[in-house]
Amino acid sequence: MDLRKCGIRFDSPAIVITYIKKDSGKLHRRTMPLRNFNKHSNIKKTTEELKNNPRHKQYLEKISIIQLEKLIGIIQDKLKGISLKKSLETHKQLETVDPSEDLNKVDDETLRIKKAVMDTTFEKNRKKADDPDFQYDLEVDFEKDNAMETIEWDDESDPDF
Amino acid sequence: MADGSQPDYDSKSEDGDNKVKVICLGDSAVGKSKLVERFLMDGYQPQQLSTFALTLFRYKTKVSNENIAVDFWDTAGQERFSSMHPSYYHQAHACILVFDTTRKITYKNLPNWFKELRQYRPEIPCLCAGNKIDVDYSITKKAFGFPKKHNMPFYFVSASDGTNVVKCFRDAIKAAVAYKNNSTDFMDEIMRELENFDLETEGEDKSDEKSDSGLDSAGDSQGKDDQATGTSTS
Repeated sequence: MDLRKCGIRFDSPAIVITYIKKDSGKLHRRTMPLRNFNKHSNIKKTTEELKNNPRHKQYLEKISIIQLEKLIGIIQDKLKGISLKKSLETHKQLETVDPSEDLNKVDDETLRIKKAVMDTTFEKNRKKADDPDFQYDLEVDFEKDNAMETIEWDDESDPDF
Repeated sequence: MADGSQPDYDSKSEDGDNKVKVICLGDSAVGKSKLVERFLMDGYQPQQLSTFALTLFRYKTKVSNENIAVDFWDTAGQERFSSMHPSYYHQAHACILVFDTTRKITYKNLPNWFKELRQYRPEIPCLCAGNKIDVDYSITKKAFGFPKKHNMPFYFVSASDGTNVVKCFRDAIKAAVAYKNNSTDFMDEIMRELENFDLETEGEDKSDEKSDSGLDSAGDSQGKDDQATGTSTS
């Protein structure tokens, strides 16, 4: 199957996907209800249950946990009376890695989400041991081309840098 | 070790190997664990020291024909408290200070980690790694003042595509062994390299570089450092 879209239904709460069946070429829609989901439900747990649900599992393989958590989070925000606009803004912020934000100081949940966002880049660029051009000891001498510019982060007035 | 107590790095390992301890330091999510995992690939046995909430990975290698058992220590999230338990530093022989080249704050926090390291281990060799260069390779055209100012060897690395990870860790192991064995050879080599580097960027004021160098000669350091960590169980 070829996944096309992934979305949500607020009432009653569900994850909805559309996909094209490879053999027939036909567009299908699948609705996966979140049973007993309410404003107090644990999002991480609900996501895990959905991902592991034997009936839905195969349709959700291509959707990352972080995306599902976000969609389910938006449903929950609605149940809490938070506007869709506000909810989308909050989730966007949560997914954005701000280079000046000190992640030592954020709560566990925020750190987990930011790490997951950074992990997607990590996985995308990753060279694994079974990749044909994998090289265990890959050395690159960046300084040899010299003419290095000082990083803007260094602050002359700060004695540490 | 099953009871969660610390290994003793002054004694030999069960197989008679020389034991060294290399610690990783740096902010949350800079990729410390991923760097260790990339270096070790599959050949590691992680061990949890539950008492101290940290993870260590044992790795066996040879340095100038001597069998070495290296323990890499990883913070297991303890850096969230903006400081590490003294036991983390206890008996460490080398340190890899890591920041994320895509996040300025992690670079700006390096002095805090370095200060804490020097409080417990005034003399051990310290190397600096700027991780995640795969996200934007143009960062490798930049020169970073912090490692240079503190005479630390600096490595642009990527735990993701593997660039320079093995080199950085092998250098750290060599530095750790050299420090433990009180040989100054490897230090001299690095110092020479850094001196050459200085020549290329002349006009720098070098007068303050001696004060807190990341790579002081190994000299008589072992005894001194251990005194400084004498209160680590408090």
